[in-house]
Amino acid sequence: MDVSQYLEIFLDETDEHLQNLNTQILMLEQEPDNMDTINEIFRAAHSLKGMAGTMGYKRMQTLTHDMENVFSEVRNGNIKVKAEMIDVLFQCLDALEEYNTNIRESADEGTNDNEPLIKQLNEIMNEGKGGAESSSSEEAPAASQAASATGGKKWLEIKLGDSERAVLKEAAKQGQNVYGLTVSIQETCILKAARAFLVFKAIEEDGEIIVSDPPAQEIEDEKFGLDFSLVVVTGSSLDKVIAAAKNVSEIQDVLGDVFDPDQEVSAEEVQETKEKQEEAAEHAAAPAETVPAPAVPAKSNKKAEEKKPAASKPVVNRTVRVDIEKLDTLMNLVSELIIAKNSLVSASTVSGTSSTAVNEQIEYLESVTTSLHESVMKVRMVPIESTVSKFPRMVRDLQKKLGKKMELYMSGEETELDRTVVDEIGDPLMHLLRNSADHGLESAEVRRERGKPEVGSIFLDAYQDGNNVVIEVRDDGNGIDTQAVRNKAIERGVITPEQAENMSEKDSIELLFNAGFSTAKVVSDVSGRGVGLDVVKSKIEALSGEVEVKSKLGEGSSWIIRLPLTLAIIQALMVDIGNEKYAISLGAIQTIEDIPPQDVKLVQAKEVIQLRDLVIPLIRLNEILDIESKKDPEENMVVVIVKKGDKLAGLVVDELIGQQEIVIKPLGKYVSKCKIISGATVLGDGEVALILDANTLI
Amino acid sequence: MEELKVSGGSKQFIVIKLGDEQYGIDIKYIENIVRMQHITRVPKVDSYLKGVINLRGEVIPVMSIRIKMGLQPDTETKSSRIIILKLEMNGLIGIIVDEVKEVVTLESDQIEKIAYDSKEEKDSFLYGVGKCAGGLISLLDLNSVVLENI
Repeated sequence: MDVSQYLEIFLDETDEHLQNLNTQILMLEQEPDNMDTINEIFRAAHSLKGMAGTMGYKRMQTLTHDMENVFSEVRNGNIKVKAEMIDVLFQCLDALEEYNTNIRESADEGTNDNEPLIKQLNEIMNEGKGGAESSSSEEAPAASQAASATGGKKWLEIKLGDSERAVLKEAAKQGQNVYGLTVSIQETCILKAARAFLVFKAIEEDGEIIVSDPPAQEIEDEKFGLDFSLVVVTGSSLDKVIAAAKNVSEIQDVLGDVFDPDQEVSAEEVQETKEKQEEAAEHAAAPAETVPAPAVPAKSNKKAEEKKPAASKPVVNRTVRVDIEKLDTLMNLVSELIIAKNSLVSASTVSGTSSTAVNEQIEYLESVTTSLHESVMKVRMVPIESTVSKFPRMVRDLQKKLGKKMELYMSGEETELDRTVVDEIGDPLMHLLRNSADHGLESAEVRRERGKPEVGSIFLDAYQDGNNVVIEVRDDGNGIDTQAVRNKAIERGVITPEQAENMSEKDSIELLFNAGFSTAKVVSDVSGRGVGLDVVKSKIEALSGEVEVKSKLGEGSSWIIRLPLTLAIIQALMVDIGNEKYAISLGAIQTIEDIPPQDVKLVQAKEVIQLRDLVIPLIRLNEILDIESKKDPEENMVVVIVKKGDKLAGLVVDELIGQQEIVIKPLGKYVSKCKIISGATVLGDGEVALILDANTLI
Repeated sequence: MEELKVSGGSKQFIVIKLGDEQYGIDIKYIENIVRMQHITRVPKVDSYLKGVINLRGEVIPVMSIRIKMGLQPDTETKSSRIIILKLEMNGLIGIIVDEVKEVVTLESDQIEKIAYDSKEEKDSFLYGVGKCAGGLISLLDLNSVVLENI
């Protein structure tokens, strides 16, 4: 069967499972006895194995299979979770990820068999078994006995209800034959439910299925392992029934015998003891659990699947996966619509056709386009969780690599951002975390000397702040040694010694973002190859965001990333300066003030105003933009107070035009030299207005 | 960017005027020719970048090749046009010309390459001179006219 059409789904789901495994194994390391975690891991490993098998990726299947075995031992309490084991498991996950990458690139899993890993897994298994055997030597023989008692004839385990038993007895009295059957399906089968259905149909031609295990509904939903059991009432012989079932393709084997409803009771008697021993039986049978092991080991799989789907997916999510490009197209169309709407508004005012009716309709159109835009935006928003959830694992690895003790605390993973931003933000964040781990946190000894807890803390907090999303990476390490930064910068020739003397703390920190700057005394493979913070900065600026650093020597530093919630369409305040129109993002604006010219004071030769106990620097936009103001200097000034982080500034403009929804268009490379302009927009009359970037002005 | 091939076959050029001189622009780089319109000034950029215009919803930068080539600044007349060029990787850019005259087809033997050792500033924007019935046409090397200084 051609499975290539499922490749995408397979890759997506594998990613999900791997991520899940990463998280769960991390949890397992924290609380080795948490049964829920172990079950969850087992389930994820099992699904992975099944999926890899279905898609024909044998190496991936083998590896997950061995991992699953280890988990099953852990679940049964035969192996204790140890640090080495966690390490091996993480390596396995890396190997699986590699397979996945290979498959994504070439639809082939590659040729790496990962034998050392499989060997290590087997060693863990054997160790566990050795321990189990010595501790429960009595159980083992009993277990094997139990295993041979059922020996694949799993219909013996079917529990009958009273009514069913009555039906069977009645049938037996009438001279009908009652058979128990266990049908096992080939492991390579893709449509198990369909095969099971055909088996049902074939048997029902000549008889009646009284009970099935698992119940018919679950079989239909494919919630079973590789086998299922039936109790059948039929007029024909056992051989005929078996032959009919075997006739269905992809059926591995069908076992059957006369089913005695009364004997089932005695079977029930052993049930209890058997159940106790079953786990041991499973592991006794584990070595034999290679490909064609249909009966007992497979059962454990089935059980796991049966028990859990209800818990993990109680409600079916009504979602669709949509290609991001389609959403981009939709977004562009919405942008066009908004421009067209703006044109309509200005056309109606200019041509003088405006009547109440027209205005009403335009207002209605306005509200529709606004909500349309919001909806499209929301569709594109995803929680940053998908990106940040890999960080705990990374920090754990760093801890081992660097020999430092550290802990990552995350909050606000549910904060949502535009999909494209979420995809891009991963690398910069990873870099900042590595930076904190490598340069920020001190070694355990130094921390002890300084009276800090030995285990360093790194925090990653995300939250929404107005029209921005803020992601903060914080550590309680050494902070930034600005003197060392300056010395390094002089050494590198970035600044001169004279410049260094007059440098403020803030400017010194800014030096870190210089290309080719690395303060690590030793180049490690974790961070500090000279590329880094400058890349972080440019990446975030490319997303129209910004980075801010706060640091206190000896106490730690925090890196604050501020990203706009939306990239394409914003609410803006249009202002007039001279004869030109400019837009200022409403998100940055705090208030608008009317200031008499005599209220302007001079502090350090710079103009400031005092506003409700705050001293706010004034920025005369006409001077910065080289425009002649057409306003009388004696008149009251219109001052737009903008905010960046906790800093404020007052922008002096000539006139306010009004609030408008604008579509941001990039200015392109040719005019990228102008940093205070973040983009342009097309106004209703077809003219272009520039968007002022309040952040760079402050 | 792709080398402008001089040898082999014929090429079409749009002939424009800057002052009294005729210049030719390879037609394959031309996306559109539009009338002069309001150009929104962008502050703090090189003087030859006149600003941006709106071309069917797209914001496109416009430059003055007169200023870039060290000629007198543009005076806008009825025949002034903005030629929108499309250069690979760098998106669209408009250049202001005094007049758009005609389209000519030049065979490779009608094009004379300019020696590169020419030190004169103006010449470095040209890659050749075309000879045709209408006289001499200086062929613009768009690489150096537009891409320089990015």
